[in-house]
Amino acid sequence: MEEIKGVIKGANPVKINSDKEIEIKIEIPTKAYFMSGIRDFTLSMIKNMTDFSENWAYRFQSVVDELCNNAIEHGSEKDSSIKITFIAVPDKHIKIIVEDFGKKDNPITAKEIQEKILNTQKKDIKDLGIRGRGLAFIVTKWTDKLEILDTENGGHIIQITKNLNDDKFKTVERSLEPNQIII
Amino acid sequence: MAEIKYTFSELIVTGKPKPIKLIVLEGMLDESNADEFAPKIYEFIESMDNETSVILDLEKLTYMNSKSIGYIADYYNKVSAKNGKIVIAKPARNVKETLSVVGLDQMIPFTQTLEEAKLQA
Repeated sequence: MEEIKGVIKGANPVKINSDKEIEIKIEIPTKAYFMSGIRDFTLSMIKNMTDFSENWAYRFQSVVDELCNNAIEHGSEKDSSIKITFIAVPDKHIKIIVEDFGKKDNPITAKEIQEKILNTQKKDIKDLGIRGRGLAFIVTKWTDKLEILDTENGGHIIQITKNLNDDKFKTVERSLEPNQIII
Repeated sequence: MAEIKYTFSELIVTGKPKPIKLIVLEGMLDESNADEFAPKIYEFIESMDNETSVILDLEKLTYMNSKSIGYIADYYNKVSAKNGKIVIAKPARNVKETLSVVGLDQMIPFTQTLEEAKLQA
């Protein structure tokens, strides 16, 4: 019998080419173990479902990772969960929202998070220590808008927006323009 | 789950008074393994003579989070305190961008090749 070869591909990715926005919600336990899966999903989703470049897909991967790590470490109890929402609006922007459910011991407010970010940004790069670069640099430099909100249950919602029609996303250089932080 | 493989070795380079320490990383460094991995490097730096240089070969490192970068900044401080140098060689584009966006390029030189790294170390 003649050798038969074939390849079956799964469903094609849903490219956003209509007016409809796409919203994807994920809830994960507060364990760092799950973050490699979330990073893979982010990379694949940005590359396949939006018009952002591959370069930006890698940047969003880092942004999501940093937002989630922050929510797990500073905004969550040990055996809790965090919610991640991706909203892609065709020809406009992508929003990523990370929600945690708060911490009883050493709770932190949205205002305190913002102050930490601003203090870190003011420091000399050689004096930063191990922590703090995620929100202060990776998230703020690679997004157009960062909103930090307190929730009624003692948690936080951190929402970032990146505009699709921003010239910055087309380049491979890092964005150096100041970004907006809203509480 | 993120996995990191590491290799420590020495490079004898003509014209350099001491062997250069080479640390090759392969895989991913993230929140799940950064704290576990860092002591290996601290022990390695601790065991080095003064005025020893270190090359971090990141060609096969596919991801690095901010905490891992914070550790690299701390390795820089420890090696500098022993009058040595750190050079980062061959970082993948996404890793190089992340290192740059947090300002590590202001502290540590990056090179495209191992040969360039040897010259700078």
